[in-house]
Amino acid sequence: MSKSGSISKYLDPELLAKLSAMEVKSRAAVEGMIEGLHKSPVKGFNVEFSEYRQYVPGDSLRDIDWKVYARTDKYYIKEHEEETNLSGYVIMDTSGSMSYKGSGKTSKLDYAATLAASLSYLMLRQQDSVGLVTFAEGVRRIIRPKTGMPHLKVICNELEMTKPENTTSIGESLDAVGQIMRKRGVFIIFSDLMDNAELVISKLRQLKKRRHEIVLYHVLDRDEISFPFDDTTVFKDLEDKSEIITDAFTLKHEYLRRIRHMVNTYKSALRKSGIDYLLADTSISPEINLRSFFTRRQSYNLWGDR
Amino acid sequence: MTFISPWFLLGLLGIAIPVYLHLYYRKTPVQKEFPSLRLIKLSVEFVARRKKIRNIILMTLRILTVVLVVMAMARPFLGSSASAAADAQAPSAFVVLLDNSMSMSSVDKGISAFNSARSKALELIDQMTENDRATVGFVNEPGRLGYSQLTWDKEALKKIISDSKISAGGTDLASSLLPALKLLSPLKTHKKAVFLITDMTESSWRPFLERYDIAETDKSIDLIVVPMGAQAVDNTAVTDLRVESPIVMTGKKTLVKAQIANYSKQAKKIRAVFAINGERKSERDLEVEANSEKETDFEVVFAQSGMNRIALSINSDALPADNERHAALRVFDPCKILIVKPENVPGAPENKEDLFVKFALNPLAKSKDNSFITESRSANELNNVDFKRYAALILINQRHLSADVLKRLSEYLMGGGNLITFLGDRTEPEWYNENLTDNLGSSYLLPARLFKRVGNAVSKSVYYRLTDLDLGHPAFNIFEKEENGDPSRARIYEFFQVKPNSSAIVLCRMSHGFPGIVEEKRGAGKSLLVTFSADTKWTNWPVRPTWLPFLHQTLISMITSKEATVKNIKSGMPVSITLMQKDAGKLKIVLPDETEISPSSNNGHKGVLHLTVTNTEQAGYYEIVSDRLGVLTAFAVNPPAAESRLEKINMREIPRFIPLKDEPGKRTVKDKVSVLRNGYDLSGISLIMLVLLAIAENFLANKPAKKRTE
Repeated sequence: MSKSGSISKYLDPELLAKLSAMEVKSRAAVEGMIEGLHKSPVKGFNVEFSEYRQYVPGDSLRDIDWKVYARTDKYYIKEHEEETNLSGYVIMDTSGSMSYKGSGKTSKLDYAATLAASLSYLMLRQQDSVGLVTFAEGVRRIIRPKTGMPHLKVICNELEMTKPENTTSIGESLDAVGQIMRKRGVFIIFSDLMDNAELVISKLRQLKKRRHEIVLYHVLDRDEISFPFDDTTVFKDLEDKSEIITDAFTLKHEYLRRIRHMVNTYKSALRKSGIDYLLADTSISPEINLRSFFTRRQSYNLWGDR
Repeated sequence: MTFISPWFLLGLLGIAIPVYLHLYYRKTPVQKEFPSLRLIKLSVEFVARRKKIRNIILMTLRILTVVLVVMAMARPFLGSSASAAADAQAPSAFVVLLDNSMSMSSVDKGISAFNSARSKALELIDQMTENDRATVGFVNEPGRLGYSQLTWDKEALKKIISDSKISAGGTDLASSLLPALKLLSPLKTHKKAVFLITDMTESSWRPFLERYDIAETDKSIDLIVVPMGAQAVDNTAVTDLRVESPIVMTGKKTLVKAQIANYSKQAKKIRAVFAINGERKSERDLEVEANSEKETDFEVVFAQSGMNRIALSINSDALPADNERHAALRVFDPCKILIVKPENVPGAPENKEDLFVKFALNPLAKSKDNSFITESRSANELNNVDFKRYAALILINQRHLSADVLKRLSEYLMGGGNLITFLGDRTEPEWYNENLTDNLGSSYLLPARLFKRVGNAVSKSVYYRLTDLDLGHPAFNIFEKEENGDPSRARIYEFFQVKPNSSAIVLCRMSHGFPGIVEEKRGAGKSLLVTFSADTKWTNWPVRPTWLPFLHQTLISMITSKEATVKNIKSGMPVSITLMQKDAGKLKIVLPDETEISPSSNNGHKGVLHLTVTNTEQAGYYEIVSDRLGVLTAFAVNPPAAESRLEKINMREIPRFIPLKDEPGKRTVKDKVSVLRNGYDLSGISLIMLVLLAIAENFLANKPAKKRTE
């Protein structure tokens, strides 16, 4: 642990120590080359028996259980389950808005990076492969998933090097990610979702349809959630640098209504699509946010891994 | 600069609130970076729409604020009265008119309307401040003001009200209201008001409203009415009691007519009791329909000559004052008339020129049970005759009369006798002028000087008619109705041209303008001159149907007028009576409540005494009594019949008057008057509203600090 603690500013040894007992599990089956904790969608040999099913044209003849054929005069295929490793993709929003620091110590990007690094560490530790995609107006950088702890440094370095800038275009970025990441895996998205909600939701649903498992961290600063401004204020947009002068007090009620509405919209719409939505309030300790991630995933396992 | 409500200046501290809020929230915009303005922009768009409405409300509030500031500074008063519009500092001048007419004596549920009205009047006077001026008036008939000038003396006014009594008179609103308006009108620096406390009877208001245009009265004077009694009470009344025959004789049947009214919503059985001189003579039960009047009559025989008191009373009710009605009636013994006919000419048939007069006055020559007892004598039979025994003397076509007779005639006439002189062919104008007029000096007998004869009674080719009849005179009054005949149909063939004395009146003229009948008041008596004959020589009038009523009416008018008779009069009206001084002795007036007062009198010339009775406020029977001759005359005071109608007039029919209704348990009259006089001072309300508006405006503009800590 002490070694990994020196890798990046985003990796807090204390935090990782607390989370060491946690396992990043996929809710659905994932494709992988290495045997791991996760169920593989590939039914094969020398592995645990799963079920019989009737032969359909196209199935390999090698899979036919001839003994059953001898007994029943019908072709049955004997299926097995095998465990595989998880491919995790950390997709990080690096638009200008993520640089917002508010009244706290860390910017939204730093906070999201901490969460991402910690999760990457945990996944790599359990032999899963982890990749990184950064995006703003479009995809900025892609690091292919790899296993092994040395890859953690690559990811952390990339996170540290990336400067938040430009506007957010989540839709386009997710499209691009979907094109690149053909292999099914877990997409952990960190973004403040400063984009058209309907578009974002539809793109996420598309990704989900491709059998990817998606976890969305909605990263918001405390200021964005509570809007603690009363005065006449000149607000400056961190993405497009535009300005607006307004009486923050008269605006507050309407703003809060809208932000609540936005969060609820994401929450309900994504849940319906089987996408995990987690609100990451930067004023809350990353540990709590990570624990809520694991708690939620444990509960899924209790329900039978769906 | 002075302030009526200086404590309102404390409201200036309220300025601190907007100043504080203004300074607290007005800061220079702060720069703030924000992740994305997407939501902020959407919120601004939405809020801007809402803000537009808010801004309109804010603008309205601010306009209202300015309006209220201006209003508060302009010291607005809300009130329907002229006083309310006047300078609030101005002293008040007002007149309280208290209705003390008979209708106010009604008692409803044990509460006397007049007592309530009196306490209201005292309440009003109590409101006088040291700079105010007021007076009190009474609304009856005739109304009057307690003081003819406005006074500061509150206690004196209260005493007048406390001492006031109900009168038996009607309600004459004009008699006190107009002087009150006249009194207040010239005042320029006062708040002026007339407070009228009355029972609002329609019978009193209707004639007043028809006669006067109150809407045009001085607008600077508030006319305030304090209505007494919520609704009209049932009332029954004796509204009339009269004897229609012109002269009432002892022993003769006389018809007394009465009218009984029922002013209620259901028919009533009323018991009527008729009394003469306090003695019950007749009584009967009458069924009187709702809201109607019923006439009834009593046939009575008067046994006692002189003044008689008759009264009709009915059962008592809420308004007892009109349940009894009185009348004073002079009853005469049969009148003796002395007819002085021409002397018989020796050898000639008996002169019968008195025939038509005698026949007209006493056709059956009765010595009793007839209005007139006639006695005919010739001039030379008058030596020992006491003229005073006769109610009237009728001289017919006399040639000469002895000096002694003339002297006694003159004394008789001046002492109250009545003389009727018919002329004729024996009349010598020069002798008449000399002996009946000139030689007697101021005690002359004839009302006119005689001149030549006009016409020709022998040929009868030309005749004259009586014209210009004085129908207002009792002698001809009866002919006002056509069915009673027309004396102008009589033909006069010959008559004497006369020149009436300056104080004589011409009762009729001949068709070409010469006086026909002339009358003059002589001392206490009357002298009437007929310029033609009393028989059919010169005229055919004695055979016309109008002859008899003319003679009767003439005599009755002469006889009754010399009596100090006073017709039934209205309450409060002064009564003037003329008496012969020698009759008077020591006089006293006995009022209906048996109290006796001494009359005010002054001596007229020729032994005549003029007597005036002013204390006639009580209803009932008044007697003027001489210590020597007993009851000289009497009269009765009754409330006016209209006063018995207690229906209320609708307030909406009365212009200008502001009603000040007295609702028990609610605001007192005093409070109401105060509001009415001063109006509702809106400056206070304006300031309070202003403060509220300022707070509302600040709330809307900045929102309260409490919410900001969310």
